[in-house]
Amino acid sequence: MKNTFAVEIQGLTKSFKDFKALNTIDLNIKHGEKVVICGPSGSGKSTLIRCINGLEDFDEGKISISGNPQNPTKESFVSDFHIGMVFQQFNLFPHLSVIENLKLGPMKALGLSEKDAETRARKLLERVKIPEQALKKPNQLSGGQQQRVAIARALCMEPKLMLFDEPTSALDPEMISEVLEVIVDLAREGMTMVVVTHEMGFAKKVADRIIFMDGGSIVEQNSPGMFFKKPQTARCKKFLKQILHH
Amino acid sequence: MFRILILFFIFFTLGSCSSPEGTWGWYVIDPSTKAGWTNIKFLIGGFYSTILLSIIAAFLSIFIGLVVALPAMSDNKLLKLFNRVYVEFIRSIPLLPMLFWVFYGLPVILKSMGIDANIDAFWGAIITLAISDSAFTAEIYRAGIQSISKGQTEAAKTIGLNYYQTMRYVIMPQALRRILPPLANQFIYIVKMSAFASVIGMQELTRRANEIVVTEYRPLEIYTLLIFEYLILVLLISFGVRYLEKKLGSNESANS
Repeated sequence: MKNTFAVEIQGLTKSFKDFKALNTIDLNIKHGEKVVICGPSGSGKSTLIRCINGLEDFDEGKISISGNPQNPTKESFVSDFHIGMVFQQFNLFPHLSVIENLKLGPMKALGLSEKDAETRARKLLERVKIPEQALKKPNQLSGGQQQRVAIARALCMEPKLMLFDEPTSALDPEMISEVLEVIVDLAREGMTMVVVTHEMGFAKKVADRIIFMDGGSIVEQNSPGMFFKKPQTARCKKFLKQILHH
Repeated sequence: MFRILILFFIFFTLGSCSSPEGTWGWYVIDPSTKAGWTNIKFLIGGFYSTILLSIIAAFLSIFIGLVVALPAMSDNKLLKLFNRVYVEFIRSIPLLPMLFWVFYGLPVILKSMGIDANIDAFWGAIITLAISDSAFTAEIYRAGIQSISKGQTEAAKTIGLNYYQTMRYVIMPQALRRILPPLANQFIYIVKMSAFASVIGMQELTRRANEIVVTEYRPLEIYTLLIFEYLILVLLISFGVRYLEKKLGSNESANS
């Protein structure tokens, strides 16, 4: 490892017209670290992780990915330090079958042969526990299955860092655990990950660090134990009370 | 098919009420007489030009339309402006003046540039139809591509696809099934507008009908036949498009 940090963010600021979405964010994420970000809606959580992989442009500040500056206007998302992303709305390609969804990136972006891509895709479908759905179209699957396909599709690019943008928020309650299990497994295997979520049970289980954001700033960050036992700020206390007692 | 037969029936039985001379004169296109058969052969011979003209113009329009539409989706303001100016300008020109401009005007411009190009009626009509129609196909593409959610482009980016690959493998396959019906509409429009090519001397269906009318003095019968010639063409396109729609799944509601 030439660099200690997978992600280094300094003074990151971004506005949408008058609205300040991110306000001088400083954040370093180590290789192998699992970070959970929570906070009320509109607090800038999604914007932050979208800036990390370059989907979103930013006004000021600096982002380095494993030592290399992140360039939001870049043409290609392919790099030695690939960043995988899982979206709240899955964003599977509805006109392609599950296996084709998985094979597309490796074949077109990485130049793998059809056979190699197929092997890789089959292996990942095993890993997310839906090998039997390979030939179905996404809309024939349940929400939980679709999200697992989306995770497998991201893993097909062999990412070094995985970003999850509220991966369970669009799911029916009984499907949340099957998706979280897959993410927990991935965490155990040592993947560096940043997860935006309100699933606090999940956060306790996998997070090395929990970050609480509000109004575009990082208000508080701590290890899960301390975060839940002794929240430091009033805002964070209030937030935890609201999401833990409903 | 049944309705068409009823229409024919009405024409033949009530024909005597509607003709200026009080009778129909179907003899002009009666295939059992030698003169009638010659006329029919001449009139139907126009199919070749009309079809060839329409198909080439439609293909050009579909291609130019895409080239004009893609800049509208970019973040570059200049490219966006190019799209707007092209669409607004071209779609404001009526087809007939544009045809005259291309056929009579364009060779003058080319000549002043030192290019001695003679634009014949066939290519003059194709250029006019293709360019005039491309403003409309461009808008159809834009609507179709913009109807695909932004999440699709973002997902494609995160698995490493570049702009071309995203368009080719993710956006266009989904957009195409949505824009096929309106594109078919435009193709039918081109077939019908190709009749304008008759005024610059293109020997297509309408021109041939006009020529026989002048010599035979039987406008009602000949123009009736002409209308049915276009009807057949348009119905053929409709059937073809329905088949394509089924194959691409355009007839299913989108569930992305």
